[in-house]
Amino acid sequence: MPPSLPILAEPTLFSLPEMLLFTALVFTSAWLFWRRFGPILGRILQSKKDPDFHLFPIGKRVWDFAWEVLLQARVIRERPLAGVAHALVFWSFCVFGLVTLNHCAVVFGLGFLDPAGRVGRLYFDFAAIFAVGCAVGILGLLVRRFLVRPKWLGELSWGSGLVALLIFALMATYLAAFFVTTPGGAVQALWWVHTITLLAFLPLIPHTKHLHLVLSPFTVFLSRGSFAHIPPLSGDEDFGLVAGKDLTRLVSLQAYSCVECGRCMEHCPANATGKELNPKEIVLGLRGYLNEFGPQSEEALLGKYESQRAAFECTTCGACEFQCPVGIEHVPILVGLRRGAVNTGTWENDYGSKLFLALERGSNALGMSAAERDKFVEKSALPIFDGTQEYCLWLGCMGAYDPRGRQIVLALVRVMRHLGASFGVLRKEKCTGDPVRRLGNDLLFQQLAEANLEALTQNRVKKIITICPHCVRTIQEDWKEFGTPPEVEHHSEFLARFASQLPSVRDEKKIVFHDPCYLGRYRNVYDEPRQVAALAGELVEAPRSHERSFCCGAGGGLAFLGEETGERVSHVRVEELVATGADVVAAACPFCNTMFQDALAARGDSAPELMDIAQIAARGLPEDGT
Amino acid sequence: MKIVVAIKQVPDRDAPVRIAADGKWIEERELQWAMNEPDAYALEEALQLKEKHGGEVIVLSAGPERVGSTIREALAKGADRAIHIVCDDLGAGAGGGLRNFDALGVARLLAEAIKPESPDLVLTGLQSEDLGLCQTGVILAELLGLPHATLILHVEKTDAGLKVKRELEEGWFQSIEMPLPAVLAMQSGGNKLRYATLMGIKRAKTKELRAVNAAELGVEAAPVATLEQISAPKKQKSTQMLGGSAKEAATALVEKLKTEARVL
Ligand code: SF4
Ligand code: SF4
Repeated sequence: MPPSLPILAEPTLFSLPEMLLFTALVFTSAWLFWRRFGPILGRILQSKKDPDFHLFPIGKRVWDFAWEVLLQARVIRERPLAGVAHALVFWSFCVFGLVTLNHCAVVFGLGFLDPAGRVGRLYFDFAAIFAVGCAVGILGLLVRRFLVRPKWLGELSWGSGLVALLIFALMATYLAAFFVTTPGGAVQALWWVHTITLLAFLPLIPHTKHLHLVLSPFTVFLSRGSFAHIPPLSGDEDFGLVAGKDLTRLVSLQAYSCVECGRCMEHCPANATGKELNPKEIVLGLRGYLNEFGPQSEEALLGKYESQRAAFECTTCGACEFQCPVGIEHVPILVGLRRGAVNTGTWENDYGSKLFLALERGSNALGMSAAERDKFVEKSALPIFDGTQEYCLWLGCMGAYDPRGRQIVLALVRVMRHLGASFGVLRKEKCTGDPVRRLGNDLLFQQLAEANLEALTQNRVKKIITICPHCVRTIQEDWKEFGTPPEVEHHSEFLARFASQLPSVRDEKKIVFHDPCYLGRYRNVYDEPRQVAALAGELVEAPRSHERSFCCGAGGGLAFLGEETGERVSHVRVEELVATGADVVAAACPFCNTMFQDALAARGDSAPELMDIAQIAARGLPEDGT
Repeated sequence: MKIVVAIKQVPDRDAPVRIAADGKWIEERELQWAMNEPDAYALEEALQLKEKHGGEVIVLSAGPERVGSTIREALAKGADRAIHIVCDDLGAGAGGGLRNFDALGVARLLAEAIKPESPDLVLTGLQSEDLGLCQTGVILAELLGLPHATLILHVEKTDAGLKVKRELEEGWFQSIEMPLPAVLAMQSGGNKLRYATLMGIKRAKTKELRAVNAAELGVEAAPVATLEQISAPKKQKSTQMLGGSAKEAATALVEKLKTEARVL
């Protein structure tokens, strides 16, 4: 240990009145903390149990905790500058745990870290480095919040400012103690200022968004276990999030964990295009509701604190949930609110009813006669699946009925034939239920899932391939509630596997690939479609790509709900894609495809070409596909 | 207002329709079933009248076991209770179709089940999507001795009884005032149908569903009309070449489109 390192000055002797004063202050502070925090904890614990929550397998939880909480990886990755500043503050808090314990223990002569001793000195100096980082970090955050003021942080709050100043004061008083060389009054004074700051900080935590300090480690650790997971309903009286009594512990915990950072809002396509929906307000609305009505209330959730209109503007793109640094799961909340409205029949929407009725009576979301599918299958000479083929080619509503979707299917069929992959289509297929699942119609979803599962079992289907990421997600994840779905893969995964066997037609085209929400964020598939798209030329990236991709506007059943208010999500996205200067916009989802088709048409001419990756893969093949 | 809605279960629109071996009816085994659409509109009208004026909606359906699912659907959408006239003769078991109960026979069954209820209003769809006879509602009115009106799009309750809107040809409508009790045969499209909900289905489980059979109602099968044979429409394609100058050909084409194809 080099002797030149400064030594922390610490008072050594405390009088009895000082001890008593300290004890009284600690109790007051703790009592003030608990007076606010106790009821919050109560509201969380009095909420309904989550029906499908399992602590195990715990490995992923531990990993998420280490990565997102301890390493602050998500916070840093998505907002590097502010993220690092935040991480510095967080890490200092961790390091200061021991310092603070010791700081309090010295009052009673129980200090365990000797500032002059080998270990103590090392640790205090170590902490001092973090204190400097923390002070710089918190000043940076203060400047950002009060001077730069990005709009997603919302209105200025006195609480945040005060907390930042207290944290700064804590660090300053700690660091100052290294420079006091003479024992006596100054040391004592610094100690007391530090202590009082600390004890003032504690009760502020549950009064401000700094409640996340206490709650968010739990929120991250106790997540639902998978992205955008829609939990099953439990029992005969569960219709989704209708009233306070339906809020589960996880939902309540999440509602109180929000740090109001606005990341969710910043990335929300609905919010960005002038709709009422703001995912942050959805979360804070639940908090407001819980504070006023409590977790056992019969008061409807859609009302004073949550807007039905906003809930039905969500595309379930999952950008919010993906971004949230404290592990709040917006998609189950938003779908939960919709379930509450649809399952009880309180949602009235002409487009929505039309979709539901089309699927109650017919087989597809487009409301077409099933005979149209038969004709397409027959005309295109698609083989019927008979259990001998490797793949069941799932057409989906778009692939079976939509002209552009059919083109994509036929392109994929040519490639599969070229590769010698055996496949067949089912004689009858019903919608997977994706749009009604996301819109919260559990009755219809269950009927569709069960009918399809039965048909697949009867046909001995083992492996499904489909051009639609929504079908993939719904079959693989959502159907699990009602049975065991076969293995399913998106055509991008299949095509990427055989990319080396596909002809590449390099005609100097620049291609921009749009990540579909349900393939990227939902399935974590980013590279495969790019590998296929690259067959046609040079890839360029849109400013928002991969896990930050901006929705096309179709998801969550919104493709069927008619006109949007405000700007169209698809138009905004298409502008962004066109601005990359690409000659080809590559899509990997039939819904993105139609949305972009319309948006490109609305822009007028000189629009880039729009292709599905299957069409890119098939481009170099001879017409008959052999 | 106490309203009885008579509904029929028909083959689902997308169901594969095949003619049965004897050529007298369709093969019913692989069919999926659904509520006859005009009946769905009759139910919707009944539910809206109840929401406005209070009262009770009773659904009534005749048919074999499978009809239960359509009855439950009606209960789920908001009907208060149901009567199921269990009658296998109307279904696949005995050949289905018209064989044992023609429109008169079905109307008798319905009438006997309705009488003890003495409702204020009986609603039914104008026609069924499978047989399309358009008779049951009208015969039912006759059997009940009640006034009736057909092709109804909209029903309004007045002090004196009802004011109804009838659909005529070519976009014409007729408005009629009539007394209660009455029987109305409803046309599709007058209202917006509601979707079925999970809560509705769960609540439906606790609603009364009473089963009766033809014998209990004292109705015997005595068909006066029989179905001899059914067949699929023949697909015909014929090509005609129209000669002459372009102008002459165009004139001939317009003429044919008007008189033969009747699309103009
Ligand atoms: S899922 Fe997408 S559209 Fe819905 S609230 Fe989140 S960011 Fe907005
Ligand atoms: S919900 Fe998450 S992302 Fe949105 S403001 Fe709250 S903490 Fe930030």
